[in-house]
Amino acid sequence: MDNQQLPYAGQPAAAGAGAPVPGVPGAGGPPAVPHHHLLQQQQAQLQAFWAYQRQEAERASASDFKNHQLPLARIKKIMKADEDVRMISAEAPVLFAKACELFILELTIRSWLHAEENKRRTLQRNDVAAAIARTDVFDFLVDIVPREEAKEEPGSALGFAAGGPAGAVGAAGPAAGLPYYYPPMGQPAPMMPAWHVPAWDPAWQQGAAPDVDQGAAGSFSEEGQQGFAGHGGAAASFPPAPPSSE
Amino acid sequence: MPDSDNESGGPSNAGEYASAREQDRFLPIANVSRIMKRALPANAKISKDAKETVQECVSEFISFITGEASDKCQREKRKTINGDDLLWAMTTLGFEDYIDPLKLYLHKFRELEGEKAIGAAGSGGGGAASSGGSGSGSGSHHHQDASRNNGGYGMYGGGGGMIMMMGQPMYGSPPASSAGYAQPPPPHHHHHQMVMGGKGAYGHGGGGGGGPSPSSGYGRQDRL
Repeated sequence: MDNQQLPYAGQPAAAGAGAPVPGVPGAGGPPAVPHHHLLQQQQAQLQAFWAYQRQEAERASASDFKNHQLPLARIKKIMKADEDVRMISAEAPVLFAKACELFILELTIRSWLHAEENKRRTLQRNDVAAAIARTDVFDFLVDIVPREEAKEEPGSALGFAAGGPAGAVGAAGPAAGLPYYYPPMGQPAPMMPAWHVPAWDPAWQQGAAPDVDQGAAGSFSEEGQQGFAGHGGAAASFPPAPPSSE
Repeated sequence: MPDSDNESGGPSNAGEYASAREQDRFLPIANVSRIMKRALPANAKISKDAKETVQECVSEFISFITGEASDKCQREKRKTINGDDLLWAMTTLGFEDYIDPLKLYLHKFRELEGEKAIGAAGSGGGGAASSGGSGSGSGSHHHQDASRNNGGYGMYGGGGGMIMMMGQPMYGSPPASSAGYAQPPPPHHHHHQMVMGGKGAYGHGGGGGGGPSPSSGYGRQDRL
């Protein structure tokens, strides 16, 4: 059945994501490790992301089509901005609503990598610019990137080169600490990247007041930490991952 | 037929566009921000510049794909751009990764469009989810009260989540799906899982196969 096949397809992706893990501990080059490691991390995240999206799409329901993450009328308006576009079937904006969601998620994940390389917790315009510059499929967006950002790009690259080792150490530090407190969750967390866990942030923020919500908030806070730990934990867990998983 | 609808919609949209505000060229920044947050760690922040840049990128993405699809329709002397044209355009322009999830999504949409009964049921579920979402704080509080009464189910959902998080999606999907099917009340299901946090959320994801569960799934997304 399709339902069974999809999860199965998801497993190889996860396995593939896991494959790079053994290689990382072996890497001995200090200057190369940070960048290589981060790229491995990103690839693992993106693989898990796409596998997850395939599962999600399979679970789409009538309510998903009735209440979209993005307004269909606005999408249609943007499509119509092109004078050559005459008629649009009802399914086109619906499909675009999902496509744009995937696009935003992918672009944001790739942008976050750049922010991490610069040891920042706030995603900035130049992180988005960097993600666009590094990803071939986003070439059509180069004109969206302001010239200032373009100039800043080389600086960012230099910054990364200079701060690479330190960044790696910094990343390893907290990551090493956090997983220690959540050993059972340490392994799965990296395989379920941050793009899933932070989903609960709004709920937590909204539910600060009531007692029940406080409980929920507590639960989210922990989960949020796990999510972050998992993300960073990918770095720390690379060395310990092989023995514990085996 | 869609053609007629689009025909009447065309001029109207054109008019709207002519007088449209600058803001109408982009998707709402709140929606874009909400989706961006789902891609980041809990402690990450997003600058306004980054949100606006992604906003612009999304509009460019829509225009880019639409342009390619439109060219194809013209070559084939067809007037209406449909879902398959968009999928073809994305493949041509390098977005291969998007095709699998979108094909499934489109397939689901067409299935539901073709069956009124299921559509009606889904509509009801959607209403519940929408109500919960729009309810904001009070809605959240109310539903959480309800979820307390449904603790047992929540625990099950949590279990499913753990299984999935251990990297066994194949095993996790069936039982979660059954649970979703066996538990009709979407609001209870959805909110309790939110209380359970990430584990519950993921467990519910595994159970998406059931009718009510997807509604809950939507509710979860709506709260993001």
